[in-house]
Formats: sequence, C-alpha cells, structure tokens
Amino acid sequence: MYEQIQHPLLPQVTHDELARQNFVQALKEHLATKVSPGNKVVYEKRARPRFVREAQHAPRDRHDVRRVMKDEPYYQTWSALQRISQEMMWEAVASSVERQLPDLITRAKQRGRTLGSLTLNPDLQIPSYHTAVDIHCQPGGYHSETCPDDVAAGAIYDRAVYIYAMGRMGPLNDDLGQSLVAYVKTTYPDFRPRTILDMGCSVGHSTLPYVDAYPDAEVYAIDVAAPMLRYAHARAEALGKRVHFSQQNAEHTTFADASFDLVVSHILLHETSASAMRNILRECYRLLVPGGMMFHVEVPQYQGMDPYDAFMLDWDTYNNNEPFWGALHDMDLVALAGEAGFAAAQVIQMTIPSAFKVARSRTGLFQGGDFGGGGRWFVFGATK
Amino acid sequence: MPQKAKGRRPTFFADPQVDKVLAMTMALAGEVSVLRERLDTIERLAEAKGLFSRRDIEAYRPSAQVAEEREQWRKEYLARILRVILEELEAVEKGETPESYDAVVRAVSSA
Repeated sequence: MYEQIQHPLLPQVTHDELARQNFVQALKEHLATKVSPGNKVVYEKRARPRFVREAQHAPRDRHDVRRVMKDEPYYQTWSALQRISQEMMWEAVASSVERQLPDLITRAKQRGRTLGSLTLNPDLQIPSYHTAVDIHCQPGGYHSETCPDDVAAGAIYDRAVYIYAMGRMGPLNDDLGQSLVAYVKTTYPDFRPRTILDMGCSVGHSTLPYVDAYPDAEVYAIDVAAPMLRYAHARAEALGKRVHFSQQNAEHTTFADASFDLVVSHILLHETSASAMRNILRECYRLLVPGGMMFHVEVPQYQGMDPYDAFMLDWDTYNNNEPFWGALHDMDLVALAGEAGFAAAQVIQMTIPSAFKVARSRTGLFQGGDFGGGGRWFVFGATK
Repeated sequence: MPQKAKGRRPTFFADPQVDKVLAMTMALAGEVSVLRERLDTIERLAEAKGLFSRRDIEAYRPSAQVAEEREQWRKEYLARILRVILEELEAVEKGETPESYDAVVRAVSSA
C-alpha cells in the first residue's frame, strides 16, 4: 500500500475522519481478499451444479451465472457489504470535504495559472449518461455543483479513488497513466508526440504522467465536469505540471482536425454509452494526425472469458451505477474502430502490466471488489 | 451536498429490510473503529507524555466498587441494546397481536 501524497489540494482530514476512511479501506480490502473469493467456492460447489441440474447444460454466459448466484446467501451478503462499503466510502470522504469546502475553493483559486490553463464552458450540456444515474454511486456524480467555483466533486474523487483502489494505484493514483506511458515508451521508443490529449480526465491523476514522459509535448485534458476540472487544474499547478484543461465532451470537441499525435483515455469508455462510444472513436480519428495513435485503458472484454469471471466483473453494471459497463465489454472493438475509420490491422487489444509492483501482487482478479486486482490493465488502441 | 447517489439502490436479501439492518450494522462497526483508533491515540499520547503507559492499563485491577459499577453499566447497556427482544416477549405474555392493536384503533375511532 502506498501513502497518498498530501499535495496542497488534497482535503485535510481530522483524526476521526481519517479513522473513518481507514476503516472503509480496511473493509474493502477484507471484502476483496477474504470474502469475495469465496463466491467462486459457492459457485463451484452449489450454484453451478444447481444450474446444470435444472438447465441440463453448463452456464453459457454471465447471465446464466447471475441467475443462480443471486439466490446464494453468501453472494447476497458479499454483494450487500460491497455496496455498503461503496456508500460508506463516499460518505466518509464527502463529509470531510464538505466541512472544509470554502477553504478548498480558496486554495484552488490561489494556485497560480503560470504553467497550464483552465477553460470552462458553462453552456456545455452534460450528457445523459452522466445525469441518468450518479456513476459508481458518487452522490452528485462528477458534474453537480452546489456553490460558485465548486471543487467538491473533484476533491472527493481524488481521495475516494485512493480508498477505492486501497492505496495500490500509487501515491498520486496515477497507475493507469503510468502503466500506459510505460507501455507506449517501451513499444514505440521512437514515438515523440508533440501534442497529447487525455479524454475524460476527471482530476487529471492519469494525465500528469504524460507531462513527465514527454516533456516537450503540449498536454491537453478534457472532461464534461467543471468541479473536476477546477480541481484538476489547481492540482496540476500545485504539482508543477503544465496541462491545458478544458470543459468539453469527448464526443465532439472544439479542437481542429489532426490536432494530436496521441489521444488517450483511462477508464472513460465504460462511463459513456453505445452511441457516445462511436462518437468518441470517430472524434479520436478526426483529432489524430496520420500516423498518430489512440489508446484507451479499460478492464478486459468479456469475450473468451470464463462465464463466472465475466459475471463477477459485471457486478458493477447492476450494483454500482455503472450501467454501460456490461454492454461495453461485450462490444466488438475492432469493428467499432473500423466504423470510425481505423484499419482493422492497426487496432490492438491486449493487457499490459501495472506500473506498480504492489498492484501486481493482488487477487489476480480484475474486479469483484478488487479494482485493478489483476495487476494488469486492458488496452484498446489504434494507429491512424 | 447530495447524500444519495442518483439511481435505484439494489437490495440483495429476500427481505430488503435485512439490507438496511446490515447497512446500519456496518455504519456502527465503522464508528466503533473510529472510537478504537481515537482511544489508541489517547493511550499513545499519554505514554509519550509520561502520564501512564499501556502496561499500566493492562496491569489495572478494578476495585470491588469499580467492578460493581461496571457490572451495573454492562447490564443496562445490554438491556438497552436488546430491548426489542424483551418487548416482544412482553407482548406475548400480554397476548398483544396486530389484531388486538387494530381493535383498539377501531375502538377509539368509533367511540
């Protein structure tokens, strides 16, 4: 486990607030390592035989597995506790942020504008896939604001991601960015992007590794949520990183054609929708220079996955306000990239190792309460 | 700030009331953990400042009167927590049923 770096924008915690957050983190870790794996035992010993007896065939997909597992008392208890741990996490962080919100807003404003920039667009329409439900149960979602210059959602997210990942995504929560940077640098050692775009950047935790990896590049980052971007900008400035943040929808940005050598996203796609996915890939194609590359970090697709593993990976679709999670992971990504203009031969799908050793010694699962527990990330990318 | 995430909350048990009880239990478990951590801080600070050590705590033996007071406190504490069970027993003893209560509602409403 890594300690989170107490950068100037990170919310301060009182003794009891920290103890409360520590408890949630310990609860999540206990559920992930001690309780969640038992679901597989229950499945193999009870649920699967019951399914085979009744259906006269083995479970064919994750839906078959869910039909029998949902009645298993052990799975019910784990699910209830997993959901509760998520709600307790947001409460433990949000109550702390709310107590100090005016101070956080002041700190965000005081951060100099010397390195990068922040451009908000109050007229931007927040897409329905963000307003329909609050993604992964963060009350108010990414976008809600309750006061002028609000940074609460960003401050809550920065701390909660650390707890959610149980401190194993690094001291700056930048595992996703670091891992993709390491992959790109190793695989394309001669690639020298001059312009980089991070789509759906939230607090910019995955964005900053690109600033260090390609110091000569101009790094841009977009998100639909103003409170995330205000916080992200102040956070990047506090950490001495030059990033240009702007409030834009990745489906249709205001950047000119062929603006970027490299376009990336980190666990963005599953928080959109089927039509938005197509728009985002088309937009990636439009924004890339010929020979430019896009990479999207996600958790793996369900195709070829054992039905039980897919079922566990799919828990968030129904129980953690991730409504597009399941549909995305069933999609034919090569075909979608093709529709957007990318040649099939130029599309890659693979898993890459986590940049953080601690993450590699986890449960070996990709979800089921252990986000990133595979110690690897799935990458979907293409060259234009 | 909003307290609840938009989106229907799933339940997992045959009786959704159990989901609620479990949520309350875990919230209480969390607060016990917060208290425990605070107490640990107090003990460590006391030791660091030379007030008393954690060995002193382990070596502490309550006097007969303190033991009696603590016993009394534990009894009241358990009675308070398990109150609902005793109330159920009392209702059985007095022959109270949902119907007997409804009968009272009807009686006072019409009289």
